[in-house]
Amino acid sequence: MSGAADREAVFPTRQSLGLMKAKLKGAETGHSLLKRKSEALTKRFREITRRIDEAKRKMGRVMQIASLSLAEVTYAVGGNIGFQIQESARSARFRIRAKQENVSGVLLPTFESYLTEGNNDFAMTGLGKGGQQVQRCRETYARAVEALVELASLQTAFVILDEVIKVVNRRVNAIEHVIIPRTENTIKYINSELDELDREEFYRLKKVANKKQQDVAAQDAEIKRLKLEQEARGKKQAVADEPETSAGPAELLEAEGDEDVIF
Amino acid sequence: MEGLFFNVNNGYIEGIVRGYRNGLLTGANYTNMTQCETIDDLKLQLGPAYGDFLSSLPPNPSTSSIAAKTTDKLVAEFRYVRANAVGSLAKFMDYLTYGYMIDNVALLITGTLHERDTRELLERCHPLGWFETMPVLCVATNIEELYNSVLIETPLAPYFKGSLSHQDLDELNIEIVRNTLYKNYLEDFYQFVNSHPDMVGTPTAEVMSEMLEFEADRRAINITLNSFGTELSKADRNKLYPSFGMLYPEGTLMLSRADDFEGVRLAVEGVQDYKTFFEAAGLGGGAGGPGNMAGGSGTEGKTLEDMFYQKEMEISKGAFTRQFTYAIVYAWVKLREQEIRNITWIAECIAQNQKDRINNYISVF
Repeated sequence: MSGAADREAVFPTRQSLGLMKAKLKGAETGHSLLKRKSEALTKRFREITRRIDEAKRKMGRVMQIASLSLAEVTYAVGGNIGFQIQESARSARFRIRAKQENVSGVLLPTFESYLTEGNNDFAMTGLGKGGQQVQRCRETYARAVEALVELASLQTAFVILDEVIKVVNRRVNAIEHVIIPRTENTIKYINSELDELDREEFYRLKKVANKKQQDVAAQDAEIKRLKLEQEARGKKQAVADEPETSAGPAELLEAEGDEDVIF
Repeated sequence: MEGLFFNVNNGYIEGIVRGYRNGLLTGANYTNMTQCETIDDLKLQLGPAYGDFLSSLPPNPSTSSIAAKTTDKLVAEFRYVRANAVGSLAKFMDYLTYGYMIDNVALLITGTLHERDTRELLERCHPLGWFETMPVLCVATNIEELYNSVLIETPLAPYFKGSLSHQDLDELNIEIVRNTLYKNYLEDFYQFVNSHPDMVGTPTAEVMSEMLEFEADRRAINITLNSFGTELSKADRNKLYPSFGMLYPEGTLMLSRADDFEGVRLAVEGVQDYKTFFEAAGLGGGAGGPGNMAGGSGTEGKTLEDMFYQKEMEISKGAFTRQFTYAIVYAWVKLREQEIRNITWIAECIAQNQKDRINNYISVF
């Protein structure tokens, strides 16, 4: 994995640790969601690929039949009726409705074909001869177009899904291989920095405590020494000079007592 | 007696046309053609008959270009014959072209209705239906002008006059217009072969009557079958039936009342040929039409259309057994058209690799 350098530029504080943790959690949830989405899409994608394969084969067959039926028309009518057909077509009989289908948040356009009723534009073409063939040819071509529409809708879905799956996979991979490790690294870094700070603090506190203890000990020792000195001195003076033991107040009392004596 | 002076004017034409008839593809040719694997092979097989016309095609030509080239040959030969024809034969051959002219005029009407540049349409017109003043029709920008110029400039004026006005020439009716014209044309042609002094009582009148009657019946039956499920009313339909033919008048009356395939079958019951056609077609899925969901893959047996073509070819072939008649020109054109259709069909089957139905062509020689 990437080294310590691959982390976000944050100050190692408790707040950013919290943020990072939230981010990691978010990234993990997002990752699992996206993974599931990608799987759903891939499943769909495979299904569409299979259906495209089927539709293409079907189209091949239908188109073959259709072009043969056109040949039949040419045979029966004995000439080219293309222009006649083109000109007598007024409104579309075969129409397409575009719909949207939602597959795990991806909007896939699907085309739905339908025949408009009562629209029989060139029903009379070939009235004299070949009319039946013309009608049959139309039916066959309507079916061919139906197959084409189905194929078109599948192909569009195929292209869109392909794109989306790529994007989703890129995101999944980005989250899995970049964002999560980086966030983890950052958290690790923050943790280590915080630990470092903690240790430093602890050491400092220990040092301070030590110093305090030393100071206290030194003071105690001083006091003790003074006490001892005093005691030693007191014992000496207690015999020689009593008031000397208590310095100030004793002297004052003594002085007052002295004045009292004067009165 | 009728043959006595026939060759004075028409002997050369008859010889030429009989020669053309011998140039038609035979059953053996067709069998060879169906064995072809590619269009190029087919082109090679067509070499003897169509070599000079097909040679300009690139390798692996499309079926439509083959069809166009084979049609070119027919047109070239027809023009040659027409150029050499004199007198009533010339008139007869003009009558032959009127049918194509109707298609061309219908095409131009459609173009004018949709405000297309009709000059572009001239290329799409059938060359046999070409008449000198056809480009004049392109000047017309609206339907009324077109109607007037058709009346003035084309030989079709009598077919328009009296039965159609310019109000009839709207989009909905274009097929009805076409079929009305065709009906008038057939009647006129029938009248012509049976009344012209050069033809009355000759084999021409006999053979042509048979052919035109068949054509009239076929149209009547087809119109009836194809009009099921459309907005064409029975009264309108009745107007499109030619007023002659083997079915006329009882059969046509019954046809005009028919509602379905069964009705048509009943109507044609009186004529043995059609009865057998309908029996055969009835077994093989019948009328088909708009409701047929089997699509192009169905119809294993012969369709009604196929049988009509077969019959037409047999009549045409029979025409060559007669001598001193104009009808062989008509028969030859029909045979050649069928040949072009056959070639196109076979080429299409080869191009699409659908050999199972390649034998659907009609060969009578």
